[in-house]
Order: sequence, then C-alpha cells, then structure tokens
Amino acid sequence: MENDLGWFKYLPLTEATGYILLALTQPLHGYGVMQKIEQLSEGTVTVGPGTLYGAFSTLEKDGLIVKVGEEERRKSYTLTIKGRSILQEHFRRMAILLGNAQLLQGD
Amino acid sequence: MEQKNIRKYKLFGAWNDDKEEAWLSGMARQGLHLHSLGFPGIYNFTAGEPREDVYRLDFITDRKDYQNYLQLFKDAGWEHMGEMGGWQYFRTRKQGNQVPEIYTDNASKAQKYTRLLTFLLVFLPIYVMMVTRQGPGEGNLSEFYAAIKFIFSLFLIFYAYAIIRISRRIIQLKKK
Repeated sequence: MENDLGWFKYLPLTEATGYILLALTQPLHGYGVMQKIEQLSEGTVTVGPGTLYGAFSTLEKDGLIVKVGEEERRKSYTLTIKGRSILQEHFRRMAILLGNAQLLQGD
Repeated sequence: MEQKNIRKYKLFGAWNDDKEEAWLSGMARQGLHLHSLGFPGIYNFTAGEPREDVYRLDFITDRKDYQNYLQLFKDAGWEHMGEMGGWQYFRTRKQGNQVPEIYTDNASKAQKYTRLLTFLLVFLPIYVMMVTRQGPGEGNLSEFYAAIKFIFSLFLIFYAYAIIRISRRIIQLKKK
C-alpha cells in the first residue's frame, strides 16, 4: 500500500459498509448487493437503496470499489486491491474482538 | 370504478420531510394515492381503496447518474412518484409490521441532509446581497426597491431558519 495512513479514514467500517465490501468480492449490481447482504447476514442486516447508492458513490470515489460493467441502467462494481486490503484489516480486527468475546464466554 | 382525481396544495419546510411522508401515508390510508407532483406544493391524488403505503423522500442534486439511481430504487421495490425541486418521492407497500426504509443507517441519512444543506447554502449569498445592497436612494424607484428588499428579507429569515433546523438534524443523526 502506498500509504497506510489513509486507511484510518475508513476503519472501523460500519456494519453496512463491511457487508457491502464483502458482497463485492464478486462483481454485483446494486440490487444484487442488497440480496447478497440479506443472505450473508442471515437477515440481520438490510441496506436500503438510498444508503447503498450513497455508499457506491463514496466507495468508488475513494477507490475501494470499481465499476466493471453496466447493463440496463444497472452498474456492476467489484472490490479494488485497496478495498480488499481494507476489508481484510476490518476482518482482522473483528477476529480479535471475537477472540475476546469467546474468552469471556469461556469464563 | 370511476377514477377520481383530487388536487391538493400544501407547502412543507425543507426540514419537515418526515412530516410530509407521514401526510402522504395518511392520505393513502384514506384512499387518496399520490400519482404526480407539481412545483411548488402541488399534489395530485387518485381516489381508490385505502392502503397502508410507505412514502419516503430523498434529496439529490447530482443528475449525471439519475437513471441508475431510479433503477436501483425500482429494483429494491420503490416506485418513483415524481420530484419537486430536487426532492424525489418514493412509495412502497408496507410489509407486515416492517416499515421499509430507503436509508438504513444514520450516517447515510445524515448525508442526505448534508446534500440539502449544501444546496441551500449556495443560494444564501444571493439573498444576503439582495437585502444588503443599496437602492437608488431618492426617486420613483426607491419604494420599489424597499418592497423587493422586504420580500428578500422574509426569504432570508425563512432560509436561516431552514438552515438551522437542517443543521440540527445532521448533528443529531451523527450523535446517534
């Protein structure tokens, strides 16, 4: 990464942003992302179209996702290397949190 | 069944979009369904069976992506009813006890009001200029200038109020 400092701008990711990035490990259009999040989160997270539309434009501007296609007025996006790195860092932090939670349960 | 159209005139402050949404849902419960809009404050309804509909308003200024924007809402089950001065009117059916939302977190909802605030602030210098500039002083036009100034002063007060209300909303959303 050319500069690690920029990362702190994005971390910690909100629950919605984390799931949007996770869904975009494969190319998807907006509604595809919404369905994928529903499925991945087992129905615990819903992302509305206003939230998703705003997230797409911010994430694209920041270079975390990139447009890979457009069909019938539906743009498809996927993660960039930067986006993938930030998602991995997000998961690393979540794993630490989860590790602590499991320790607590073991008491 | 005979289609009956009813036109209503109503003005809502830019900070009162949730009141406007509730008003439209209330009309639907009485069997009056929004079918088109006009500027400013013109609402055209069609009379029919009462329904539990959810109305949501979005505010956008960037138009280069408008068709993709509308498609995304359509795919997500929201019908675009029209627009009024940058405000986008969407409608969907209520699903059981769940109220569908176009904004599902406070951060993105705050962004909507930030766009609105930015839009209002662009016009603020024009109003300030109209109110503070000097008229011709004496002569036939001075009364005319005084009247114009008075009208713009009222606009300015209304504007300032709107800006304060919307700023407070953004702060509240960011705090949550």
